[in-house]
Amino acid sequence: MTLWDLTQGASAKVSRFKSSIESGYRTRLSELGFHPGEQIACVMSPSMGAPKLYRVNNTVYSLDDSIASLIEVA
Amino acid sequence: MSSTQASRIALIGSPNSGKSLLFNRLTGLNQKVANFPGITVNIASGQSLHDSSIQYLDFPGVYSMQAISGEEKVAVEAFISALEDNLLDAVVCVVDSTRLEKGLIFALQVLETCHRYNKPVLIAANMVDVLDQHSMQFDASGLSEALKVSVLPLSAKTGAGLEQISQSLADTTVPPEKFQSDIIASDDSVNHLHAQELAEKYGPRGDLLINTQTRLDSFFLHSWFGGLSFLVIMYLLFQSIFTWAAPAMDGVEASIQWLASVVLPLIPAGVASDFTSDALFGGIGAFLVFVPQIFVLTLVVGMLEDSGYLARAAVICHKPLRFFGLTGKSFIPMLSGVACAIPGVYAARTVESTRKRWLTYLAIPLMPCSARLPVYSLIIAAFIPAQKAMGGLVGWQGLAMFAIYLFGILCALLITALVSRSNAELRTDLPFVLEMPPYRLPSWRPLIINAWNRSKHFVTKAGKVIFAVTVVIWVLGYFPNYGTSLGDSWLGTMGQWIEPLFAPFGLDWRYGVAILSSFLAREVFVGTLGTMFGIEGAEENFTSLAQQIQDSGLPLGAGAALLVFFAIALQCVSTLAVLQRETGSWRLPLQLFISYSIFAYTAALAVFHLVELLV
Repeated sequence: MTLWDLTQGASAKVSRFKSSIESGYRTRLSELGFHPGEQIACVMSPSMGAPKLYRVNNTVYSLDDSIASLIEVA
Repeated sequence: MSSTQASRIALIGSPNSGKSLLFNRLTGLNQKVANFPGITVNIASGQSLHDSSIQYLDFPGVYSMQAISGEEKVAVEAFISALEDNLLDAVVCVVDSTRLEKGLIFALQVLETCHRYNKPVLIAANMVDVLDQHSMQFDASGLSEALKVSVLPLSAKTGAGLEQISQSLADTTVPPEKFQSDIIASDDSVNHLHAQELAEKYGPRGDLLINTQTRLDSFFLHSWFGGLSFLVIMYLLFQSIFTWAAPAMDGVEASIQWLASVVLPLIPAGVASDFTSDALFGGIGAFLVFVPQIFVLTLVVGMLEDSGYLARAAVICHKPLRFFGLTGKSFIPMLSGVACAIPGVYAARTVESTRKRWLTYLAIPLMPCSARLPVYSLIIAAFIPAQKAMGGLVGWQGLAMFAIYLFGILCALLITALVSRSNAELRTDLPFVLEMPPYRLPSWRPLIINAWNRSKHFVTKAGKVIFAVTVVIWVLGYFPNYGTSLGDSWLGTMGQWIEPLFAPFGLDWRYGVAILSSFLAREVFVGTLGTMFGIEGAEENFTSLAQQIQDSGLPLGAGAALLVFFAIALQCVSTLAVLQRETGSWRLPLQLFISYSIFAYTAALAVFHLVELLV
């Protein structure tokens, strides 16, 4: 399951990044808190495929499908 | 650096850490853009309000010292080169104490960098007012001991702790070497784990603001309410430009008239009196009237940004903008372009994808920038009655302004959609990751300072060009017959040559001259026209320029054609120069200049005939 599959209100832990993710982005996502082992909650899933809102610690980020589907969660 | 010079203190921090608010608090109105040789990024500099021996430098916000976007790269390079060239005496790293872990990941990188360049560091733990509201605390002295540098808890919003900053700066030390080997070692996961450990040990515990934030997000990002509120907010933005600025504009106009009535009788009749009346009061005065609108526009856009709404607007716009070949991140550069294309072009650095950034560059010059505002206001005031409909809720002039703004935006989207579809490479996308800052009530003081600075900049920078053009236009229009007949003046003769170019859309030579002069900067149009009408009119009779246009019998189709022409044409030397600097070549600016000029001319011609056919 990927982060993009999380429904609104659900949360899961980051397990790994898919290998197709660019290394610069992998580093940046880690710096922002999307780090393997970190608990992520999907706080908002707007309709019509708009980017979803994810909460890490006390920060909320918006990620679109192109990146959220490269982060595997369990 | 000699000891007689002020100490130069760099402020560095992540976006949304409150760094710029802190900078505004520390420096007040004493700000200017710092001039670092070879650095293209905008670094504001300002003398401390509390201690005149301190000069603060506000570096652009970055998430990491390992940059991934163009903007971050430029900002990090600027910081490093300032350290290398010994331009800084100390560094203040601003972190958000409510989100300490994230702030510390960055702070650890800054400590390592400062150790390398032997610079003392102070960590400013901002937003302690939010912690206080939630009866939370964090252990600043514990963190300071662990990091071996000073940690000062403060609130840029309330000003708490700011009085201690000079003392804390005097006590700062260079971060110890053990940091480099222990923590960084260029290993992100070690850095992350250490920040996590420190935040857990010394940071505040518990949920902060997230619930309120989620409630507001579920409204502003709702499928229906979200889109609707977006349209309402954008509409109010344009209405406010008229309604809020109107009293100030009337005030400026009345002051100019009053000043003219006092000054003109003191000057003996002749060339000097005519010059003061036509060029100074007519030309420069016509332009000054629009400064309150620039002020209101900057204030409202700043307010939206400060409130946290702009990031939501980017989320709402992401999917639709993707359809037009752009990304949600193009929204902020494009909206900045509504104030001025130049900050818009700079803001486009936040678009990481080179291709999307290039497409954003195509869109920005078509965004209805504030230099178009005086032209739009003038034409609209000349043709649209200042009446309200729906019980005073809708002003026709505001509605017309909304329509012409919308037209510019639609042109921008149409062009990016067409260009991105013409090239498969341009359709590929980079991921969209955007931090949603907490909703906040905007802090008025810094917003007003910013709007004031932009208006001042507009007057001083554009004012110089307008003054020079006005003088030239006046001399050409006044001589050789001393203002007795504008049509027989040098300007009149030159105007007849270019008249055939603009006659097809109902404009006489005076408008032709004003349009040509506006290729330097759009707002010059108003000053040029003001000067020409000033030479023509009787000097004791001051009527507004809009009234004079109305009286000149300009057809409605020609007014609409003028609006459309100004909405599309890229008449701004500064934008072209900035595009050249950002893209590293004249290719794109020249392509845009030529193609948008042709597009503007054709569209104006089409609109003129369409309106004349309908009316």
